[in-house]
Amino acid sequence: MSAHVVYLEQLPSLFEKWKEKFKLFVPQKKGDYYLLQEYERGQEICFDYDVIYNPIKSFLFPSYETLLDFDLKTYASKPVVDAEPQILFGIHPYDIKAINQLDQLMEMGSVDVNYRARRDKTVIMGLEPLRVAKTAFWSFMDAEKVDFGFDLFWTKIGPSAFVVEVGSVLGEELLFVNGKVDVATAAEKEVARRKHQEIVKKAKMQNVLKFPNTDIPKVMAKSFNSYVWIEKSRKCLSCGSCNFICPTCYCFDIQDEVDDLLKKGKRYRTWDGCMLRSFASIAGGHNFRKQVFERYRHRYMRKGRYIYDLLGELGCVGCGRCIQSCPARIANPLEIFNFLWEDVSYEK
Amino acid sequence: MSKPKVAFFDFAGCEGDQLQIANLEERLLDIASHLEIVNFREVKTEQADNYDIAFIEGSITRPEDEKRLKKIRKQAKMLIAMGACATIGGINCLKNFLGKQEYTSLVYGPYARHYSTYATRPVRAVVPVDGEIHGCPIDKEEFVLVVKSLLLGKIYIPPDYPVCVECKKAGNICQLEQGRLCLGMITRAGCKATCISAGSVCWGCRGPVPGANLDAARQVIDEHGFSWLEAEDRFRLYLGYFLRLQGWVYEQETT
Repeated sequence: MSAHVVYLEQLPSLFEKWKEKFKLFVPQKKGDYYLLQEYERGQEICFDYDVIYNPIKSFLFPSYETLLDFDLKTYASKPVVDAEPQILFGIHPYDIKAINQLDQLMEMGSVDVNYRARRDKTVIMGLEPLRVAKTAFWSFMDAEKVDFGFDLFWTKIGPSAFVVEVGSVLGEELLFVNGKVDVATAAEKEVARRKHQEIVKKAKMQNVLKFPNTDIPKVMAKSFNSYVWIEKSRKCLSCGSCNFICPTCYCFDIQDEVDDLLKKGKRYRTWDGCMLRSFASIAGGHNFRKQVFERYRHRYMRKGRYIYDLLGELGCVGCGRCIQSCPARIANPLEIFNFLWEDVSYEK
Repeated sequence: MSKPKVAFFDFAGCEGDQLQIANLEERLLDIASHLEIVNFREVKTEQADNYDIAFIEGSITRPEDEKRLKKIRKQAKMLIAMGACATIGGINCLKNFLGKQEYTSLVYGPYARHYSTYATRPVRAVVPVDGEIHGCPIDKEEFVLVVKSLLLGKIYIPPDYPVCVECKKAGNICQLEQGRLCLGMITRAGCKATCISAGSVCWGCRGPVPGANLDAARQVIDEHGFSWLEAEDRFRLYLGYFLRLQGWVYEQETT
């Protein structure tokens, strides 16, 4: 697809135009953290954020979402699908990879209608990272670059210039709402390419995965009975922070709610997490993963192996959010992968 | 079907939970249309003694309380403890860490000998309860949910996961990470992380989550740079009753 050049001073007018039809979310600084929040005129956009604190999935798969409206008297029910058009601006490649993965998972078996409706109305604008989060290791998880899953991809090539790669027809239309913009010259594209290489190099300097990530499923398969699960999970609070902050975790629970007059009600879904005690409990009181270490192991197996068996790619994109948000500092996929690899290698 | 008769009773507590129910305002009329409220001191003056469902507020701190509670238990078909004092002992349990002489003289001074009082207990340590609504004060939405569940013949199961879950769902930034002592990681959820969303920290008012790993929590708090004493003080505020429990009693009480 084609690449164009956009200058910083063109952005506010573009944003204003987009805001007419879409809800626009841009990265913003809040204290020491970065959040993706709605754009208001004249607001500063944080192009050099390291990681958005909350996972991007919350825009496609909200923490609470109504699925059905029902009537207790007539037993009639009708599905609720409400999705507003939105633009997510400034999404890093690893988050786009996570969204691509969600797209596949939510379409497996029967299509998740609510997710799909929201996804169809969402425009994703990628952004080349300018900084690497302290806890990030995406450069080792094949998540430093995405080839699809975005409508536009922005690379900041100078203090006030961007190279914008077009990923879809809708993206191109949005880019040209204020008239055509210049096509990027070969030199500008080269600068963008170097910017990418630069940041990947920077990312590779820290949080190193000591072996090729293609070996992770094999390592995980051999580590089911490793002592590391018990060792690490002794400090686990079963709080589920790592699940809810994870951009690729997609489990949910479905519950019903009725109004005060007991006449009408709604069925909604809400995030659920495999680290929670009652996640795998079933009727009759049996729990498939009663012990903390079983749940802890399950999460890493899920990221390192089960998703790989399902899709052929790892369930972890290396954003480092779980490392950041785990109160006990035990959620660290990189550390676990490295440790298990060493453990398995020594056994030979 | 006749409407179930509902009564509210209070023991050692501030009656803040009943106030929360009164705060439902117009919605209370909708909910009350399915019920007959026979005893609710904060809302109506008439009182009667034939009730099916009893909501108990406050903790049990005197021998007289115990007698009265047992009488209520006998009359009521269903007894629901409401609020931190009733479900987990609440702030009243602070006195359990002092000697009897010490706390009575602290509160009543020279008249201490006229007052009968003993160590605080939650309602379920005295009589069997059929349900619990946690929180200090209770979340009025949760109260409504419990009432609706009862009316529909469903069992209301309070969340058995910690506040962190609802805090993450609300999109908050972790308070512990920002250097504030927050007990969300061991506290039972159900409050929609109200305090944290409003910029405060979790104080643990809903009691420990089933199977709470208090030892890990102590270590985590220590690693985040708080002193042992700070952590223990914060634990005592609401979790006092559980801190005094040992071994299998603790296991039983927290599951």
